[in-house]
Amino acid sequence: MYRLTDEGRQYLEKGLPEINLVRALDKPLSVEKARSMVENFNIALSWSKKNGWVKLEKGNIILVKRPGKPPEQDGLELMSRNELPDKRTLRTLINRKLVEEEREDIVKKAQKLVGKEITNLTPELIKTGLWKKTKLKPYNVTATGNKIYAGKRQPYNQFLDIMRSKLFSMGFEEVRGQSIITEFWNFDALYQAQNHPSRDWAQTYSLKYPKEGKLPDSKIVKQVKATHENGWKTGSSGWGYKWDEKKAARLMPIAHDTALSPVTLASKELKVPGKYFQIVRCFRPDIIDATHGVEFNQMGGIVIDRELNFRNLLGLLKEFVTETTGFDKVRFRPDYFPFTEMSVEVSAKHPDMGWFEVAGAGMFREELTNPLGVKDPVMAWGFGIDRLAMMKLNIKDIRELFSKNLDWLRKSSVLMG
Amino acid sequence: MPTIEIDYDDLQTLIGRHVPLDELRDKAILYAKGEIESVDGDMLKIDIKDTNRPDLWSAEGVAREIAGRYGKPGIPEYKVKKPTLTVRVDPKVSNVRPYTVCAVVRGLNIDDNMLSQMIQLQEKVSETFGKKRHEVAIGVYDYHKIKGPIRYTTVKPEGIKFVPLEFEKPLTPKQILEQHPKGKEYKHLLDGCPEYPIFIDSAGEVLSMPPIINSNHTGKVTAETKDVFIECSGFNLEWNKSALNVLIAALADRGGKVEGVRVVYAKGNKINKTLITPDLGPKKFSVKPSDIIRLLGLKLTTKQMVNLLEQARYSARTSGSKIDVLYPAYRQDIMHWRDVAEDITISYGYENIEPAPPQLATTGKELETEISSRKIAGVMTGMGLQEVLSYMLTNKDNIFRKMNVKEERAVEIENFISVNWSVFRTWLLPGLLEFLSGNKHIEYPQKVFETGNAITPDPAQETKTKDARKLACAVSSTVVGYEDITSIMDGLLSSLGVKYQLKTRTHPSFIQGRTAAVVVSGIELGVVGEINPAVLNNWGLEKPVAAFELDLEKLLDKP
Repeated sequence: MYRLTDEGRQYLEKGLPEINLVRALDKPLSVEKARSMVENFNIALSWSKKNGWVKLEKGNIILVKRPGKPPEQDGLELMSRNELPDKRTLRTLINRKLVEEEREDIVKKAQKLVGKEITNLTPELIKTGLWKKTKLKPYNVTATGNKIYAGKRQPYNQFLDIMRSKLFSMGFEEVRGQSIITEFWNFDALYQAQNHPSRDWAQTYSLKYPKEGKLPDSKIVKQVKATHENGWKTGSSGWGYKWDEKKAARLMPIAHDTALSPVTLASKELKVPGKYFQIVRCFRPDIIDATHGVEFNQMGGIVIDRELNFRNLLGLLKEFVTETTGFDKVRFRPDYFPFTEMSVEVSAKHPDMGWFEVAGAGMFREELTNPLGVKDPVMAWGFGIDRLAMMKLNIKDIRELFSKNLDWLRKSSVLMG
Repeated sequence: MPTIEIDYDDLQTLIGRHVPLDELRDKAILYAKGEIESVDGDMLKIDIKDTNRPDLWSAEGVAREIAGRYGKPGIPEYKVKKPTLTVRVDPKVSNVRPYTVCAVVRGLNIDDNMLSQMIQLQEKVSETFGKKRHEVAIGVYDYHKIKGPIRYTTVKPEGIKFVPLEFEKPLTPKQILEQHPKGKEYKHLLDGCPEYPIFIDSAGEVLSMPPIINSNHTGKVTAETKDVFIECSGFNLEWNKSALNVLIAALADRGGKVEGVRVVYAKGNKINKTLITPDLGPKKFSVKPSDIIRLLGLKLTTKQMVNLLEQARYSARTSGSKIDVLYPAYRQDIMHWRDVAEDITISYGYENIEPAPPQLATTGKELETEISSRKIAGVMTGMGLQEVLSYMLTNKDNIFRKMNVKEERAVEIENFISVNWSVFRTWLLPGLLEFLSGNKHIEYPQKVFETGNAITPDPAQETKTKDARKLACAVSSTVVGYEDITSIMDGLLSSLGVKYQLKTRTHPSFIQGRTAAVVVSGIELGVVGEINPAVLNNWGLEKPVAAFELDLEKLLDKP
């Protein structure tokens, strides 16, 4: 059973505050004026605004529309005659604390449970304090409830975000990747000759549509062309062939993350000293198996400063590898990349697996940096990040990085770092 | 990177001393930028990392590089005797395969190791350095079966007959391209040629049809062969010279005596002169020690550098503030002083260099798209959704037909491996439906989302394409509907403080009357609704799915 509260009775007698406010608004009133005229002014303003009857403008309350008799008014009147209003109105009145459930009912409900061993602790028992006269039945607390699968980030994305945060903490700025790129950036700007085996360094995809993109600023194109053909002013002999602009403009899916490094170096926003990195989804026509996915990610970047040397590169790599893999034994060996000289292969020692290759790195050749307008030394590095992710996630097949198995994703635990 | 096989004993013989296997693996092989991939009895499988150093792709080359650091420093010398043989280049080859360079090597004592290394090197050089025989093709012949002078000319596809290698019957060039395994494999290299190149001797005996096949008569080298004639042919003279030098140096290292060949380019060829090949004379370069010190960060004396260069098979001597070097003719990779600096460093040993981390004051900076994607993923997972990750490559069937939408232009791969992965996704939702279709046996309800890039053609961009970050979400259960998905989307958009409206829309992937466009500041940023049962059938899905997809680029552009 329900009854009017003191406040409910007061409104029944004096009218709802919002109605009183509307009645006072023959003409716009300042807030202060209205406050002095209407009892329970805040409640009045809030409800009349919510109902769209009034609006506030420059400290004045203006009547928007004059309401009819509100259902709350009817509800209060019905209650006073011991009749119940409709459910919706009743709920509003209870929410506005104008009507409450009769206390006697609460006590009655609670008393039914007194002296018993009960399963559920009820609001009535708590309110009346009668819980003291019941016994709460003990549960089998060793059993867990129904399985809940928490919503989680995809494990590989968790891993990549951890990598990102490590790089930010080392002062690196992330560069935005792109999936389609001209051969110019993927190869030519990296000093890979158009018809030389070094271009075959990685077999790549080509596009059926669209086929041709635009080359950058013509000054850069001219300098890259001259460098390929005769070394330009880089101190190099160049590759000694006729460089073809049309070939450079062909579009392709990005084949390695390093393709973004010359883009960064040619950018007007390049800072010196600067540290940049990119995580790039790369595409190559590999036969798909446990070690070759349809797509793979590479993480790489550059460091530029007025003076940088090979010892600095090794120092940076050692720091990097220790930071990202957690293994502190790091080994350097000679390697080859068409765009770096010196080039270095970086391995770390896993306590069980032994040495494994983590990264490749080197000092960018002048044939790469100078044509882009860069005179300072640049160190470049790239991580075999998929392999590292597989180790961290305890995955044997690279395809599982893009797992299609919901059960595995649900049951996988969150990476801690 | 080329992988080569070398006999361990043969390698030690060529180095001239015993090198224990562990030492070879951990130290010596690094001088040749190699890594021992596996050991099977005496056979070593070695990856040579440098794809621009064909001189390292044989036992002779690896041994040469190691020997420099094991007691045989300095530049290897190769003597070339005066030519007795002439090769006349007919101008007819200039439009087919314009260049050849040749050599004769005498006094060989061909054993199994030598023969296998010779074949392996020839194959690696023509396949990798020669771009699958396109740029460089190599032929080796028994010198005594040839009557000089040799002509390098062309013949009509049916203009001559000879017995190709490992065949018994004489065939025309046309028949060889049709019937011989090598003919079938490489015939595309002669596509569109009205006539085919051949080497033919003065007796009218065909030596070979490059870049396809040798003749069985002259072009077969066995243990009985003592003297050989070698030719390289292709489109770039310099690269063919380099390839020839690499092959000849290897044979000379085995005791062969090199003899020059007069290659006469008559008028009408791309060049009009006579070349004496091979030219194995050393090449000159000079480097500044100060440049090298600055690049390496190592305080090396000039004398140390000279020693390290000698170990790397250079000849080096100081000359004022510079070091003048001579390097062997088989090195075609040296373009810049840095290439010389690297050889110094390799001689020095990377393991002997003390790393010195650079001291740079820079500030880390995150990408806006990544920050927002991460925050969105945070809200979505907070609502109990599982994030998934799909490939960006897919196919037209998935993104168009199965989704019941009309085919549009998408970014397409030309040389795809499998049609399954031949087109870049233009939207993410098909990937989520594919995901759900693979998990029908897993407990429902299933609630998944993905943020990632979709790619669409866009003529305004430098790449004529545009990567756009998108969000897709799909929920599936026995009972699931419009309200379930809009409440998730509302949960996200309210959390992001984005004000949006839903407007009635039709979309062929969704059920009519249960689909809305998501509109923010007057722009449609996505679609939400219940998936059309026809689409569910296409994916083999058996429970209803409600989903939405939003363009995050535009969404997050809005203030």
